[in-house]
Amino acid sequence: MATVALTRPRTEVRRGPAHWVGGYQTMLHWQLAGLRTLLPLLIGIQILVGAGFVLGIALLFDDISPTAALYVSSGAPVMNLLIVGLLLGPQLVAQQEAEHSYDFVHALPVPRTATALAWYTVTLLGSLPAVVLSLLVAQLRYGITFTVSPSVVAAVLLTAFTGTMLGYALGHALPNPMVIQLAEGVLRFVVFGLSPILFPAEQLPGWLAAISWWLPFGHMAVIVRDPLAPEMVADAPISYLIVAIWGVGCAAITAWALGRRR
Amino acid sequence: MNTTATLQAAPSPSQLPSTIRSGAGHWLRSLNRMLRFDLSRARQWAPMMAVAQVFMGAGMAIMYSFVYPEVSEATALYIVTGTPTLALIPLGLLMLPESVNQQRLEGTFDFTWSLPVPRTAQAASTFLLYTLLSLPGMVLSLVVVALLYGVQLSVSPLIVPAVLLCALMAVSLGFGMALAIPNPMVVSVVTSALAFVVLLFSPIVYPPSHLPGWLFAIHQVLPFYNMAVVIRAGLSVGLVSDLAQSFLVLGAWTVAGWAMTGWVIARRQ
Repeated sequence: MATVALTRPRTEVRRGPAHWVGGYQTMLHWQLAGLRTLLPLLIGIQILVGAGFVLGIALLFDDISPTAALYVSSGAPVMNLLIVGLLLGPQLVAQQEAEHSYDFVHALPVPRTATALAWYTVTLLGSLPAVVLSLLVAQLRYGITFTVSPSVVAAVLLTAFTGTMLGYALGHALPNPMVIQLAEGVLRFVVFGLSPILFPAEQLPGWLAAISWWLPFGHMAVIVRDPLAPEMVADAPISYLIVAIWGVGCAAITAWALGRRR
Repeated sequence: MNTTATLQAAPSPSQLPSTIRSGAGHWLRSLNRMLRFDLSRARQWAPMMAVAQVFMGAGMAIMYSFVYPEVSEATALYIVTGTPTLALIPLGLLMLPESVNQQRLEGTFDFTWSLPVPRTAQAASTFLLYTLLSLPGMVLSLVVVALLYGVQLSVSPLIVPAVLLCALMAVSLGFGMALAIPNPMVVSVVTSALAFVVLLFSPIVYPPSHLPGWLFAIHQVLPFYNMAVVIRAGLSVGLVSDLAQSFLVLGAWTVAGWAMTGWVIARRQ
């Protein structure tokens, strides 16, 4: 009797930094390829929105005051940072769920943190050109010279991180595409209309200002404004703290939502 | 008057009589039936639509006011009298095209077109129905914002034709656009981008003197500023002049919407 030696398939758990970085690169390519038709359109819309706010809000005034102009100019980039991660992100997840590609993507042998970081990178790629352009348009329109300090990097990265994580948490933790769409609609309203991003919080009614103090959006505007026009911001550290807490909290919710068995 | 032409050459028991019905009487009966058909479908979403309109109309008006360090009486009057226009634009340019999109995706659109009624009667039914359905949300938005700012409005009879024409214009233009652009994705993108640009750059809640000259010149031939003008004239005294031109421009855009609709429904599919 002859014995046949079967080679056992390798069951190997891959880990380690090299595997993680490899996964990150693969997922970045994957996501960019998935968005290749949408991304140019998206960057175009981003520029339209950023420049649109900078130029359009001025028309509400007979003669816009320098303070109001500074608020608008430093708020428009925040809108740019939130559009991809916070507003588009949940929609993409909803679309994946509707198309049933959601489970497929999550079955890919890539660390979830690498996937998340790749998505964060994509949101930055989709936002930063518009952020720079919005600031340039503001300089030209209002003759403002921003005194950019290095902390702008931290502020921009943190704002984009929290926005993206909030969108990620909504997309992954909410049960079905319809609910996601609804939450997204409400969020758009809150961010664009009711948050003190393009104007100071004092112009909101008291109760609304009190609510928005607990939300991250107004604080995002504060931390982005701080390095651009330091004289307008009194208390940046507390804002950094609140934005960071939201970011970490949402990352934790996402981790829980992705980690549970289904 | 109802002309009935029988096309049947050789009567055979297995064939249904195929007749072409035409004439004004047939058209009006069709319109009546389409209105009932559309209305019974609208029962599901019409209340939701009014609520969404109040959110958009009154919500936008209130949001604009946040941008001002303080809202003076004159500013408040402009915001309040601009509110009905703010409530009409999203209905015509966002909700109606979105509904056409959805009907296209669901196949309802093709089904409706296959019904034995003239397509012009179907379009007329859509225009009539949406014009009427846009009114409650619009009035409610105006009441909410007027109460909020405590503005005294001086309503004149002019408000009736102004509002009806504006609503009809918004509906006709939105429907024409949704029909003329065959790809639903493109309709979505075009209408959202349009709504954003319109709501930021149109002198609806502020006087046109804030605009640079060339932009105002463009707005004089676009419908949005002219909507605000005729509605404002019906709600206040002394804020606007040159109404005839605004009515003419709105009329022209209404006809343009009908022309787009007519062009699409006249083609064979």
